[in-house]
Amino acid sequence: MAGRGKLIAVIGDEDTVTGFLLGGIGELNKNRHPNFLVVEKDTTINEIEDTFRSLGSIPGSVAEANPSQHDPPLWDEIDSWQFLNRDDIGIILINQYIAEMVRHALDAHQHSIPAVLEIPSKEHPYDAAKDSILRRARGMFTAEDLR
Amino acid sequence: MAALDLRAELDSLLLQLLGDLEELEGKRAVLNARVEEGWLSLAKARYAMGTKSVGPLQYASHMEPQVCLQASEAQEGLQKFKVVRSGVHAPEEVGPREAALRRRKAPTKTPEPQSSEAPRDPLNWFGILVPHSLRQAQASFRDGLQLAADIASLQNRIDWSRSQLRGLQEKLKQLEPGAA
Repeated sequence: MAGRGKLIAVIGDEDTVTGFLLGGIGELNKNRHPNFLVVEKDTTINEIEDTFRSLGSIPGSVAEANPSQHDPPLWDEIDSWQFLNRDDIGIILINQYIAEMVRHALDAHQHSIPAVLEIPSKEHPYDAAKDSILRRARGMFTAEDLR
Repeated sequence: MAALDLRAELDSLLLQLLGDLEELEGKRAVLNARVEEGWLSLAKARYAMGTKSVGPLQYASHMEPQVCLQASEAQEGLQKFKVVRSGVHAPEEVGPREAALRRRKAPTKTPEPQSSEAPRDPLNWFGILVPHSLRQAQASFRDGLQLAADIASLQNRIDWSRSQLRGLQEKLKQLEPGAA
């Protein structure tokens, strides 16, 4: 596993995650944690944020999480679903409308790895004005800098 | 003189940054198009196979990634990504390996061939004979993954250029406090 390279994680709606898993990025076995999260209507923002921050020890079935269906002790472990703290993830693909929900977490992420890539969803086309990377690049120059 | 060199370096870095931004925009448009094609193909596959036949219910309980990333550091702080695809899965051999007489009495069992180490194609989660639209969806998302790696490399380079530019602008301000 050490020589295999880094993984691509995905946080998105059902079609986005299914599509990229079809592409072959999925990892799930009894020892490792899933590198994907299907965001449903009832997925909470805390859950998305926790998944984004570092990845934990919940079995893959929790990928379609519905908080009300978990036992209270298990629910405590969901806090550790965080991609940023995994050192084996190179890129996180995230639908832009989901990225908007956790924009503060994305803006706080300044490291080059894992790289965060915002992608459109079926109902929400890509908006370059909302992309964290492009917003940072746009705010680079003042009129004085260019004189 | 030092200020002139700095300005030349700033200009060159700025031009590179603007070029990267343009390339990023182009690649992003292609990625978005590929992903949209993928969704359309998934919708067609769902129409052919049934609404609940293409979704998380079909995900395998055990997955091995077929696609990984190789991250390399070109310069200090500058990461570049490259998509690496694992080996092609050997077709499953069905039937006896050698032409041999079959014994009626219980033979000593020949050891089963080791299962291939190559990961299983995710298409198999959805059945043996899947519609062409599902294969097209897979192809679209695979193209999207390659583009995602290129875009991630470009984003890293843009961030790196930003920090280099800031550093150079600070140096320039120190050299030319009035003019900068």
